[in-house]
Amino acid sequence: MEYEVVIGLEVHVELATNSKIFCSCSAKYGAEQNEHVCPACCGMPGMLPIVNKKVVDLGMTAGMMLNCHINRTTTFDKKNYYYPDLPGAYQTTQLFAPICVNGRVDIETSKGKKSVRIKQIHMEEDAGKLVHDDWRDLTMVDYNRTSVPLVEIVSQPDLSSAEEVVAYLERLRSLLRFAKVSDCRWEQGSMRCDVNLSVREKGSDKLGVRTEMKNMNSLAAITRAIEYETARHIDAIVNKTEELVQETRRWDDEKGKSFAMRTKETAGDYRYFPDPNVMPVVIDDVWYDRIKATLPEFPEIKKQRYMEELGLGDFDASSLVESRAFCDVFEEAYAECGLAKDVANWILKDCANLLNKKQMTADMLAIDGRALGKLIKLVADEKVGRANAKFILAEIFEGATDPEKIAEEKGFIVSNDTGLIEKVVAEIVAADPKSVADYKGGKEKAFMALFGKCMRELRGNCNPQVLRELLLKEIEKA
Amino acid sequence: MQDLLDTLEKVNQLALTQDEKASVQAYFERVAQDLPSFAEVDTQNVTPMVYVMPLSNVLREDESSQPFTRDDLQKGAPEAEDGYWEVPRLIE
Amino acid sequence: MIYTTKKEPTYQQKAVALDDMILTKDSPTSAGSKMLENFTSLFDGTVVEKLAENYEIVGKVTVSEFSRGMLADSAVAALDEKQIKGVIGVETNGAYTRSAALSGKVFVKPTYGTVSRFGLIPVACSGDTVGVMADNAETCEELLSVIAGHDDKDGTSLPQEMIEKAKEVTPVKKVAIVKGFDGAAVESAVEKARAQGVEIFEVDGEILLQAKAAWAILSSAEFCNNVSKYDGVKYGYRAKGCRTIEDIYVKSRSEAFGTDVKTAILYGSHVLSSDNYEKMYDKALRVRRLVREYLDDLLTKVDAVMLPACSTANLSVNAISVYEESLYTAPASITGLPVVVASGVQWLGKPLAEGSLLAFSKQL
Repeated sequence: MEYEVVIGLEVHVELATNSKIFCSCSAKYGAEQNEHVCPACCGMPGMLPIVNKKVVDLGMTAGMMLNCHINRTTTFDKKNYYYPDLPGAYQTTQLFAPICVNGRVDIETSKGKKSVRIKQIHMEEDAGKLVHDDWRDLTMVDYNRTSVPLVEIVSQPDLSSAEEVVAYLERLRSLLRFAKVSDCRWEQGSMRCDVNLSVREKGSDKLGVRTEMKNMNSLAAITRAIEYETARHIDAIVNKTEELVQETRRWDDEKGKSFAMRTKETAGDYRYFPDPNVMPVVIDDVWYDRIKATLPEFPEIKKQRYMEELGLGDFDASSLVESRAFCDVFEEAYAECGLAKDVANWILKDCANLLNKKQMTADMLAIDGRALGKLIKLVADEKVGRANAKFILAEIFEGATDPEKIAEEKGFIVSNDTGLIEKVVAEIVAADPKSVADYKGGKEKAFMALFGKCMRELRGNCNPQVLRELLLKEIEKA
Repeated sequence: MQDLLDTLEKVNQLALTQDEKASVQAYFERVAQDLPSFAEVDTQNVTPMVYVMPLSNVLREDESSQPFTRDDLQKGAPEAEDGYWEVPRLIE
Repeated sequence: MIYTTKKEPTYQQKAVALDDMILTKDSPTSAGSKMLENFTSLFDGTVVEKLAENYEIVGKVTVSEFSRGMLADSAVAALDEKQIKGVIGVETNGAYTRSAALSGKVFVKPTYGTVSRFGLIPVACSGDTVGVMADNAETCEELLSVIAGHDDKDGTSLPQEMIEKAKEVTPVKKVAIVKGFDGAAVESAVEKARAQGVEIFEVDGEILLQAKAAWAILSSAEFCNNVSKYDGVKYGYRAKGCRTIEDIYVKSRSEAFGTDVKTAILYGSHVLSSDNYEKMYDKALRVRRLVREYLDDLLTKVDAVMLPACSTANLSVNAISVYEESLYTAPASITGLPVVVASGVQWLGKPLAEGSLLAFSKQL
């Protein structure tokens, strides 16, 4: 008998907003414990929820990126359960009229192309964080994350392998980051995934017993968990090793095993009801169209355009579309200078280096693209040397917008005065007969030493090609 | 009825005395008397009314502020240390 | 005990009291519950801020636990001391209406959304309304004009231009009384109205009889949700000797809540369970619409609906009795329509008719 695994995913993505969903506390990651908290998000009575408009914007954006139908009237509901990370003992979420329904995400794996149906996307608030202290036998509660806005993206059970799951999650991540819905950082918990899995006889249309693994936070762990859980299910069915029950399980990645959970998730009945404090959100055509107009090109379409229209190679184009920020800077800079290949190089090498040094990710590139374009044009026009241009790029990283002005101030404008270059070359050659002799004796390196000395003397402000010719001429004379 | 009350107690993190359970039961039974006529009301083509006033799109701009300090919020905490609220160790 | 906190008023004409459901940052707010015995809010309710500009808040009158009891008798007692103009209190299940009717006070429960609920201890959010109790309609009018107004911090607050309309006065000439609503003080109130030339019509408002069960369902579910945050973890009462989180939850809540509160919590979660949601909660939301539509329609034909405030002057105070008495108050609670209690009965009007009802009540 052959078996197949059926998987549906619930993906939680924290939205890229400044403030929380229902109160004005900061939603930024990384603050000291309980610094981003107010009476509302630590469960005190009296404050009332007011919806953050940006959350609805981003919820719609997510839905449009995933080909969803947007519900023009969307409402909020309360979900009740007790747990210390939930200060009000309820979570405000969307059950009856979620913002998006019926979407589709296309993926590609070694087995070919496939569409994964999206059941719905709903907006909701995140829960707080619990830190367990075994030493003092305590659990410490931090409400910074309480009420940080999320969308939960619920797929249909259309996935049938760990490979497909990974392809789906990578695709989601790429689309949502591209549309600036979320930074989708697994390691910071801004992207998390619940895996619903069951196993059935191949070809059967009846689903098997379903188990759920909650809060998975890396692709590698998800892959291992799916493989383990699939094997456990098949073993239970074939060898009757255990009776499968519908339950929530916790994946322990270190032990490589899943365990039945004994806490909140066994409650089952969440006693949802519509929240009378949050009025319906009605999305009219103006609002809908405004969001539609902000949608980015899909990354693969951008990539194709970069290759076909702008002449970039596959590698450069693929690397750029990894990051929306790279694409934005690329397109601004290209519009300024028209030199696609050069711009790609500057971003993927020089900008990437600077980001690295600052321990920043590609998404954090936030420079003036037009300034980069101007700089590249200065280099292409041989007005600024490459080494000096790198110095100017560092200034652009700090917010500078006018590279020409910096070049002038720093004395970086390349001299067209061949007289000056000839004079410097003559001096250097005369002062270093040993290098001249070494070069004539066949040592290529000696030429580079002389070239470097000249360049330094000229403070980089000359056309390297001109310098090279004049230097060769002078050496011959010597 | 006892089973129902036991479940509801658990769901609501309460433990009732026998006397309390008796009053709760009496209340449930009293309201239940009114439910048959309530059930007979024809509501088939009626939409649920969650909000009594017709408002929509009560939204705020995405601006953050932090007017309350952690110390203030934890002033009345039964147990708080080092900026955390504390509870007995949870077992997952 | 009438007051939880009290200072001697220095200027009697401007002295008001709040009930203990309204949050104040300079004194504790306990909602009559051991759970919140020592709880002090970090902020003032919007009505507190509005009153503080021109009035002196002399103290807080006590309430039954979460105002779920039969009466608001501390408010009446505070007024009878004659040291204050009025009491600002939260009407959630008819306590102010009954107390005002039985004591001969005037009480206005304005249209839902005209007075901010920011800074209230929430009970049943879809119905909780801040109202004013005073010796006469003029004072109710004066204090209501102070506390009413749009508030960005309450998502159900009406726009200012709508709230302004509540000040407009149209004469009350036709009043409906409803079959099946027999209760205290009806005959004398009808007499008084007739003496003012008001025409009285009797109508067959059967659907209004269903408001009682519907409001019991909706309000206890909302209440259950609103008090689930009181769990002994963040603030408020925590039981001694708790070794697990379940201990903290169960012992703290069981020790701090009274029987009527526990009853409402259990009933509230009962009606929300997945087995009951459709036939109870969802049904009640639909009945609410029918009640509202009936009254909206009726109020195009008459200027006010008169309902008794309670069945008799001798009310017992347990949860079942409160349920029985809510027969009279539930139509207003569940619809958010304005009510003025005067001459011992309720006068219910269309949205924003509170100004007209108060003006009318002065003539009675």
